[in-house]
Amino acid sequence: MGGLVLLPEYAAVLNPFSEEGRKIASNAPPFEQMPEETIKTAIERIKWSGREAIVEPTAQSIEREIHSFYLMCQSLAAVCHPYSAETQYARESVKKVLKYRLYDLFRKGEGEFCLKTIGRALNLLPLEEFIKQRKELPESDYYRLRDLRMKKDGVEEVDPHLLQQFLPKWAVKWTDVGIVFKHNRANLTDFYLIDGWMILTLRDLWDLYAELIGDQTEEYIQTVYERMTDRGKPERLVKIGEQIARQIPKTVERLPGVRGVAGKLNPEYFPPCIHNVLRGVGSGLRNFAIVMLLTPFLSYARIAPSGKRGDKISDFIQNISVITEEIVPIIMKAAERCNPPLFSDQPQEKANIFYHMGFGMTIAPRLQDAGRSKWYMVPNCAKIQAVAPPLCQPDELCKKIKNPLTYYFRKKAEALRRRSQ
Amino acid sequence: MIMRPATPEEIKRFYREEWNKKDLPDFITHTLSLREFGFDLDGSGPSHRYNQFLTLEQLEEFLRVRAPYSAYASVALYENPRKREGWLKADLVFDIDAKDLPVKPCGCPKGQVCYKCIEQAKQVALEFADVLRRDLGFRQIVFVYSGRGFHIRVLDEFAMRLEHNERQQLVSYVTGAVVPTDLSLALGYSKVFRERAAKLLRLMNEEKLREVVKRRAFKNLLRFKDQIVQYLLEGRVDDILSLEGIGAGTLEALLTGLARINSEFTDGKVTVDTKRILRLPSSLHSGVSRKCMVIKNLDSFTPDDAVPRFLLEAGGKDAQH
Repeated sequence: MGGLVLLPEYAAVLNPFSEEGRKIASNAPPFEQMPEETIKTAIERIKWSGREAIVEPTAQSIEREIHSFYLMCQSLAAVCHPYSAETQYARESVKKVLKYRLYDLFRKGEGEFCLKTIGRALNLLPLEEFIKQRKELPESDYYRLRDLRMKKDGVEEVDPHLLQQFLPKWAVKWTDVGIVFKHNRANLTDFYLIDGWMILTLRDLWDLYAELIGDQTEEYIQTVYERMTDRGKPERLVKIGEQIARQIPKTVERLPGVRGVAGKLNPEYFPPCIHNVLRGVGSGLRNFAIVMLLTPFLSYARIAPSGKRGDKISDFIQNISVITEEIVPIIMKAAERCNPPLFSDQPQEKANIFYHMGFGMTIAPRLQDAGRSKWYMVPNCAKIQAVAPPLCQPDELCKKIKNPLTYYFRKKAEALRRRSQ
Repeated sequence: MIMRPATPEEIKRFYREEWNKKDLPDFITHTLSLREFGFDLDGSGPSHRYNQFLTLEQLEEFLRVRAPYSAYASVALYENPRKREGWLKADLVFDIDAKDLPVKPCGCPKGQVCYKCIEQAKQVALEFADVLRRDLGFRQIVFVYSGRGFHIRVLDEFAMRLEHNERQQLVSYVTGAVVPTDLSLALGYSKVFRERAAKLLRLMNEEKLREVVKRRAFKNLLRFKDQIVQYLLEGRVDDILSLEGIGAGTLEALLTGLARINSEFTDGKVTVDTKRILRLPSSLHSGVSRKCMVIKNLDSFTPDDAVPRFLLEAGGKDAQH
């Protein structure tokens, strides 16, 4: 059994958005009286990777943990937009810390406490209970799920004690972790679903729960950001936020396989789906083709933000004419070729173009507006295929790539290579 | 029974004599004032948008007076439907259009429908609904005959709160649009994919098979097609690979191709669009002269159950399409 005596408030350490967590946060002192130690923790915690993430089971340590967590989120919201690399980094950091804590607590025999805390955030049924209430799990699937998880973790053999972590033991309602699918952090098709419940090993559960809290953190930062946009950003938070942001490596997330070179757009390298959009499409496909596909494609292809995603356009260009004179005219022409022309019956979609490039709902974008909305990424080929099958007429290169942008950059790189030879 | 466009007089007659507000399903009448209504008044497209009806009588009057070519209601419920503002939730919809089925054993060209295509679309709708219940736990599932196919409407509260990405993921799951990491699991997505892929492969003719694999591999696939279908259903990947001339590359190309075609059995953009307008159950599909209607028993349904009175009286019974 557990060697620690955990206060009920310790649940907040595993879920800052739990009732306990919110209660502790609501009792936080005003900024001016915030202990220096808490501020220091808020700044440094984004870089935690190991034992420093462990929280002592004392009321004071729990309080510092929760106050510093909320201070980190609010400070980031004061300096970064919700889709920024910094926010993504914070989300990943929260996930890492949480998984470390769960692992550590299980090791110390506090598994029951962890499961109880997790069970309050989502419907959690022990597998035997699920089987009793609902449906039998085929024995072959039980062992296959174990093997698949071991394979995923690169484990071939484990001692009997650790084996428990790889056995299917839990059932969770998939809709309870809907936020994870909403943010596309996991694929529903990767889970074993019966009657709306996912059958999980303990390791799956840790991953999923960490993902859930990570996504909730991201949404919390977004909420605070929107509130601050309306009411102004406290100077003290901005200073702390800047200190946190300075610790984050510049390149956070690379789009796999994409190494782009910025430069004038060359339609010769466009993939077949983009050519199809440029020729104009019918009424059911117009919005997706022009707003969701062509706009992100042209902006990312032209600006080629070093494979980073989620950043603002203004981080990569100095002049708005790149948007207004190089990208927008192509979009307008394609929209005009649609049947019926997109902007003639849906003029509001013009603002949506700029919204998808991160300028918010406007028809007169300015560089300083970049980051008001998300700079949407080019949808993957699978999504285009699912949402707009007529656009997808793959050629040989299409079979080797998963995103139209990769197609463009590959073709462009090949052409550059040929030229240099 | 013949499927042909209705004349303006027939449309008027339908709304004047046959349409009844009692034919509107509860999921529409109970949320009437929260939905946006759209109309295609003359067959040129649904351009008359942003309409709100506070009472059934208002809707009734509009339909009787204007007799639209097509009538639509939003899948979304809004605080202010007239401006499409204050999105509250939306029916989760899967649109299976018989004219767009990617493989049609009846031989109908894409874009056209016959009763056989509609029967095929019906089977797809039943299979999708089975996955929605069995794997995903949805309970309130309603089938609507749209005139040229079927709409599955999922009305569980948690389904209606789902946003764009979750709906996209559901499309992939239900249609079998992703090759699973493991093909041997008896239940779950592995089973969904195997069943959908095997069914599709069975239906594919030579021409369609050529679309997914190269020429040399194609011959072997054709030769062992029935065995592959059986092994695929049973999750016996090793047995597929033991067939002469079927290597890992061929199998991968085949499975990827099947997954891609699987995704075409429903129009994914209808499912993910949480503000879409969809043909109003009880209204007339004037393009084919059929009533768009909620189906109580899909198993026994045929499009003849949806023939409007004007067509019956026109004596089109023998004019098979």
